[in-house]
Amino acid sequence: MRVAIVGGGLCGFVAHLTLRRAGIEDVTVFSPEADPAAAFRVRAAAIRQTHMRSESDGHCLPTSFPGLAVRDARARRSVMPLVASGLDRYHPTVETFCAHVDDERRRSGWSPVLERIRSIRAVDGGFELDAHGVFEHVLVATGHPGLAFPEELAGDPRVVHAYEPHGYAETVCVVGAGLAAATEWRNALAAGARVVSVRRREPVQQPLNVPRPMLTKRGLARFHRLDDETRAAELHDLLAPSYPREAHVDVPVERRVNGADQVIAATGFRRGFRHDALLARLVAERELPTVNGWVSVAPDATVASLTDGERTLALAGVAAQWAYPAADTLMGARYVAHGFARRCRTR
Amino acid sequence: MSYTLKGRLESRLAALALPVLAAAAVHQWWALELAGLMAAVGLALDLVYHRPIPYQPAWAAVPLGLLELGVVMALVRAIGVQAPLRWALVFYAVAWLWAQVLGQALLPLWRMSWSEDGGELGVRPTALAAVAIVLPFVGGGAVYRHNLPPTLRLSAGVHQGPLVIDRRVRVVGAPGAVVRGGIVVRHRDVTVSHVRVVGGEYGISVLGVRHVTLDHVTVVRARLDGIHIRHASVRVHDCLVDMRGVPQGQGIDVSYGMIQGENVVDQCTVIGGRDGIVMHGSMGMLMHNNVAETSMTGISMVEMSMGAVAQNTVSNARGIGILCGDHSMCEIERNTVAGTRRDDAGGNKMRAGVGLEVEFESEAHLARNDLRANPRPLGVFLGATIDP
Repeated sequence: MRVAIVGGGLCGFVAHLTLRRAGIEDVTVFSPEADPAAAFRVRAAAIRQTHMRSESDGHCLPTSFPGLAVRDARARRSVMPLVASGLDRYHPTVETFCAHVDDERRRSGWSPVLERIRSIRAVDGGFELDAHGVFEHVLVATGHPGLAFPEELAGDPRVVHAYEPHGYAETVCVVGAGLAAATEWRNALAAGARVVSVRRREPVQQPLNVPRPMLTKRGLARFHRLDDETRAAELHDLLAPSYPREAHVDVPVERRVNGADQVIAATGFRRGFRHDALLARLVAERELPTVNGWVSVAPDATVASLTDGERTLALAGVAAQWAYPAADTLMGARYVAHGFARRCRTR
Repeated sequence: MSYTLKGRLESRLAALALPVLAAAAVHQWWALELAGLMAAVGLALDLVYHRPIPYQPAWAAVPLGLLELGVVMALVRAIGVQAPLRWALVFYAVAWLWAQVLGQALLPLWRMSWSEDGGELGVRPTALAAVAIVLPFVGGGAVYRHNLPPTLRLSAGVHQGPLVIDRRVRVVGAPGAVVRGGIVVRHRDVTVSHVRVVGGEYGISVLGVRHVTLDHVTVVRARLDGIHIRHASVRVHDCLVDMRGVPQGQGIDVSYGMIQGENVVDQCTVIGGRDGIVMHGSMGMLMHNNVAETSMTGISMVEMSMGAVAQNTVSNARGIGILCGDHSMCEIERNTVAGTRRDDAGGNKMRAGVGLEVEFESEAHLARNDLRANPRPLGVFLGATIDP
């Protein structure tokens, strides 16, 4: 049995650890970057992120226990991380998280083929990945398809994306209403800048992007039963930008970008499979069903028309949001990886 | 954790398995009762929790645990479970801790998708149903085992009696085990089985106690009664009482046990003696017995007794085969009485070889009795009535 993971970011890394845990050793990872946390490190550094959003979304291990609280408690010889974990107040630091990724990389023998896969061709008994032969089970974890910039700011030299390395000018306009925007308000204020928030609506303040029941079968069963139109509308609402209450900072709000020295686009990532060349090609070639930019995958994030008793094609990360609204988180990566491992194990 | 209802119940059952087994292992009835209450309360509250708690953080286990403790202890008091408070609290606390370890660490480790499956264990419904069915049986089996009295095994050979039993015990004889001089039972919850008793004033006597079973016992050469039951509640099964050569003794005498409850004599064989099986002032059933060659009455139910005499065989009794007398109320059905011999040389018509006799204000319901070769098949005397 040959198994491949296309994409070596955090999602692919979680899948790799999960497959190993499930006893599946012959896994080939294709990635142009050897460090699974490379993109994360850059983005976290750019927004000066210090802590992960939650404990369960703050580690790459295949099971919810032991999370980083156990590791932290051991390292610090203190029960406080465990107590904080019990109280849902444990947020591992970015430093701890990155060290954890490095450890797991070493421990798991992570060694991706340093190459970007250009095409996935369905053939008898599996999928051909460029010239690398046929794999029976393939997980596509290509990650976010680039940073999103508001169209009206195209060509404006003042603009920098929140996830790109940047400093702060004297006057800063932050566009967006999610966690990155809230972080940038705080960062810019701390840097002594005058900050204005540009947003179209009041920010949603909630601990996680999606309500917690939507992270388990309890909420997902209902979600999966919805018809396409209702599901797309609900998904749109669920993915609206939000940040935890404690991240809020009061800053002046304006409807349009003003004449500030610097404009920070805290507008997240481009959305939709069309921005991902590999997925766009696959959808076009195989005429895969799509809804409002999402590939319409099965509840276990597999592509139904390309998955059968012999082979599996599954999507992970943001591309799997049709199956799991929080698929672009580490919890989502685990969800998809568990389903994928099940399919690999039972074939 | 956002539990599904199935996940809550499955995880609860998984957490309960160990406390139930532990309770069974400690051989304390209160522990089993407490474990049972914890299971019932936990599963019932899971049904209540499901809707109002869509997400249950780890810390919520503390207030929910205290709530469940309160309900369990209230029920312990209400039902009257004899649990020592300190040990009951320790038992609950350990079970609660175990549930936390299981839910927070072991189950997620065992099943990778446990948390995203809402606590479901991924077992088939049939397997879950099997656990739900088996668990009570394990508990019930443990209760049964717990309630069994200790067993005293009598080896083959002769044991000099009289053997006096004054504690809960099962006396089980090996093949060839003989007690010489009789057995006296003075404690409730006693079973005597597969023992042969030779001699003694009474072969086996049971005095003033309930829940006694005599099973596969043989009595020979007792000087008075073979089995002597006074003010007691006893079940006698598969016995053999040989009273030949003891003209004044009763084979099995059950007397004055009305307030102790029912007595049963079933599938016994009595040969010889004055009365084969006699019941005075008692309540019970005499069934499937074989009585022969008695000198007074084969089977008698007298002195305000109540009960059934059914499917017995009485043969060659002198005077009376089956008697219901002295204000008794008897159901006499499907008995066979044959070859009763006359004993009316003095002119007593009531002993003129009567197969089935009802006398002195007694009431008997008779049905399908086979009375053959008796000088007088049926006799009704002194204001007695029969139906039909």
